[in-house]
Amino acid sequence: MVMRPVPWQTGEICGPESAKSLTKAAVLKRDLTKAKSPLLIVGSEAVTEKHGKGNMIDYAIALSKAMKMPVIATGGAIKAFLERGFDGAKSMGAMEVAYRLQDPDWLGPSGKGPYDMIMIYGIPYYMQWTLLSAVMNFGTHLTAIALGRYFQPHAKWSFPNMKEKQYHTVLDEILELVGGGK
Amino acid sequence: MKDSQPYYGALFSGYKPRTGTEHVMKKKAYFKADEAETSLGRFKGLEVRIGTVVDDEWDEPMGPTPMPNPTDLRSWDHKLLSRYQPSYMPYCQVCCLCTFGKCDLSGDKRGACGIDIKAQQARIVLVAANIGCAAHLAHARHLVDHLIEEFGPRTALMQGPGTEIHAPVSRLVTGMRPITLEDASLIVDYCETQLAHTLSATHTGQEGSWLDFESKVLHAGMIDQVGMEIADLVQISTMGFPQADPEAPLVQSGIGMMDTNKAIILTIGHNIVPAASITDYITEKKVGNQVEVGGMCCTAWDITRRDPSAKVIGPISWQLRYIRSGKADVIVVDEQCIRTDVVREAKKVKAPVISTSDKAVMGLPDRSDDSVDSIVDELVSGKIDGAFIHDHHKVGEVATKVALALKPKRRKMKFFPSKKQIQKMAQDCKKCSECIRACPNDQPVMEAVLAAQLGNFEPLRDVYQSCIGCARCESACPNDFDLHSWMVVAAEADCKDETYMVRTGRGAIQDIEIRNVGQPIVFGEIPGVIAHVGCANYPQGGKDVHDMAEEFAKRRYIIVTSGCAAISAGHVRDENGESIYERHSGEFNAGGVLNVGSCVSNPHIAGAAIKIAAIFAKRNLRGNYAEIADYILNRVGAVGISWGAMSQKAASIASGFWRLGVPVIVGPHGSKYRRMLLGKAEEERDWTVYDARTGDRVVVAPGPEHLFYAAETVAEANVMTAKLVIRPNDTNKGRSIKLSHYIDIHETYYGFFPDDVWKYIRRDADIPITLKDKILAQMKENKWKERPIIDPTILKEQVMGGGK
Repeated sequence: MVMRPVPWQTGEICGPESAKSLTKAAVLKRDLTKAKSPLLIVGSEAVTEKHGKGNMIDYAIALSKAMKMPVIATGGAIKAFLERGFDGAKSMGAMEVAYRLQDPDWLGPSGKGPYDMIMIYGIPYYMQWTLLSAVMNFGTHLTAIALGRYFQPHAKWSFPNMKEKQYHTVLDEILELVGGGK
Repeated sequence: MKDSQPYYGALFSGYKPRTGTEHVMKKKAYFKADEAETSLGRFKGLEVRIGTVVDDEWDEPMGPTPMPNPTDLRSWDHKLLSRYQPSYMPYCQVCCLCTFGKCDLSGDKRGACGIDIKAQQARIVLVAANIGCAAHLAHARHLVDHLIEEFGPRTALMQGPGTEIHAPVSRLVTGMRPITLEDASLIVDYCETQLAHTLSATHTGQEGSWLDFESKVLHAGMIDQVGMEIADLVQISTMGFPQADPEAPLVQSGIGMMDTNKAIILTIGHNIVPAASITDYITEKKVGNQVEVGGMCCTAWDITRRDPSAKVIGPISWQLRYIRSGKADVIVVDEQCIRTDVVREAKKVKAPVISTSDKAVMGLPDRSDDSVDSIVDELVSGKIDGAFIHDHHKVGEVATKVALALKPKRRKMKFFPSKKQIQKMAQDCKKCSECIRACPNDQPVMEAVLAAQLGNFEPLRDVYQSCIGCARCESACPNDFDLHSWMVVAAEADCKDETYMVRTGRGAIQDIEIRNVGQPIVFGEIPGVIAHVGCANYPQGGKDVHDMAEEFAKRRYIIVTSGCAAISAGHVRDENGESIYERHSGEFNAGGVLNVGSCVSNPHIAGAAIKIAAIFAKRNLRGNYAEIADYILNRVGAVGISWGAMSQKAASIASGFWRLGVPVIVGPHGSKYRRMLLGKAEEERDWTVYDARTGDRVVVAPGPEHLFYAAETVAEANVMTAKLVIRPNDTNKGRSIKLSHYIDIHETYYGFFPDDVWKYIRRDADIPITLKDKILAQMKENKWKERPIIDPTILKEQVMGGGK
């Protein structure tokens, strides 16, 4: 019997469908290879969340460059990207993103869509939970990978409330998997 | 008087001729005579029934939709909902409302009744709006019935000097001008009928379309606005509240303001009636030097509107921390937003609870018919934990006597653990993280406890600042630690320092104030009216509300506040020790910060927008909803913000604003309302309106871009607020001013020049002069073309000549 991860916030249980546990980078290989048009969504909490010598904004930039993947920054996170001189990010509200992702023809703010995959982190847990619910129920053309530390049941893949050190290690492995982090 | 005055009962189907009885208001009058001698002859077994006759000297012509039924404004709703489409984010993929279920609605599955997940989400939104509307409406009904009993049905209703257009929402929706308490009762009758309809639509096997569920959400919201308006109107008229007074008194607020040398009565909830009996009793017995009354949530506002010597302790989220402090000697609860474990919590600090509303009895024994002395004896002796007293006349006496009797021994008691005791208890922390997982704001509670093990209480103090007082951390803790109490102990100095002066609710906006600002608002020269309303479910503390309000007040927007948001806005002092209410005028004018009052005062905000249409544009209000909503949507740059929206009441309040064309922003927790109403800026068809002068179809700038929007951060909310005040009718000067603020706020919070400014430029004159080069470059890049400035409407019938 496979142990199912549980949502980080205990009340935020979902319906019959639930994400698979992302415990090592390799499980993403198939989906990452298949993805032709991924989108990275980065929320406001990424600005203060540390990763390696930088923070999760630096990680987003590295991941975006490695995957040639456009970034949507929500909640004002755009400022941090611009301060680093990164011009591959556009600003939108998380709720606007949740809405637009339901449209399989949406080209996105940078015009590089339509997307077939989203990677997402940094939005407050419960708000990301609702965004991913919109995607799971109405954006069924998308593969959703939650890259935050805490389990997001509405994604296809999500970290299972992982210990911090292990989590950052797997994040680095994912970056390596897509040819980044060198 | 004109000859087309309607009967109340005829409003749905048209007009009936006058009967000559218009000055007499009878509600369901009935008389019977076995035998009657009249000039016409002798009648036997005479029986006469009169439905309802409306007193009315109002000569304004009746509009098309007086007292609308749930589908009468459907066409207007569909116009709004085709531009601002629902974006659903299901909170649950199953439906468990009937015994067919649970039904799995995931993917394209349908439930046993045939409903799909989209309609189910809309249905749940309607359930929430109905609940919220019911709470306000039942409150209104109680007030109206109580006040009729106290003062009589012919008691005049008034909002105060300078408010000739009193009760604008009721006028707009019902076509009635409530002159007396009995009129108010008639309007509540209408609202109750409508609520029964919208609630019934959520039953299994009734409505099946998401679009029609959403239309009914808007209907419930509109009815809620009427119910709230009536509730506030009747209490303003009879309870001695400030009446449309920009200089309503400044009152003391904050935990630190409560004088513990006196006995303290804590009142919680929304309904003034029991709280008023307390302050009245204290005044009558002249024991104000011995007893202190403080309120939490909206009762706090209404009690201080009646008696400015009462105090506003804090918003809803502060309930637990204040109860646990043990400073309240007796707790009196009325209705709405009360902690449902209030009796359990009060028992821990040996404070009796008096419940007063049939909606929130709290399991307490009914002592309404007992003598005051016997109730007091039982409460003081601790024989009972509390009492339900629905006879409000007794509440004041009982509460005061109990508080005075208990105070001496309760002041010797200590209810919070010492820091030393906390440090010792914290050693047993199992480091399970359950407290963090239970925290809605993901606060590092466990880390703070671990720091407390070492005697460092600063992290617990930090958590206190963002704590919404739900105590879910405690429920989750396997050690049953009183974690919320620990935070309060760690922040003891901050609690003592919570001393502010806040302006109590002024009530309505005067017609003269509207006359002064109507034109600059409609032309855009006062860049917007921003209302901070609603609950205290803040993501990072109440200071955010203050900061948002101050950001726009200093930019000369008009800031209106109500409810818990009004309390939080006032709970920050500047370097001179002044609150936002002390720094800014209470007038409805540029740069003013005015508190209208409690939750049920929100319609004064809607009413101000409505009155702009009536006073500045001379539009008829009477039963003329769609035209006025269209006017507001296209001309009045108003935005509602409910940063801590939590309740179903907040949902219905927002729904009422949406139908009126006023966009609402909520904080990140508001995403859990599971449905946004969002526009698509690039879809020209959605922003095509009529020019009322010519009938031409014209594409306008996407404003307001969204109707319901949850912002992730204060930065996002500020940027969105500045954008959502833009309206198609702005003059060149007005648009230029609004864009200047939008650009400045965008650059401040997002760090770059917004790339959508060109969309809002119709002519060169719209361009803020100091930013001309940048904007011109953006216009060129996007192949901008000049557009006319029109008289905008989305209603074809508003085109001159009826749009034919």
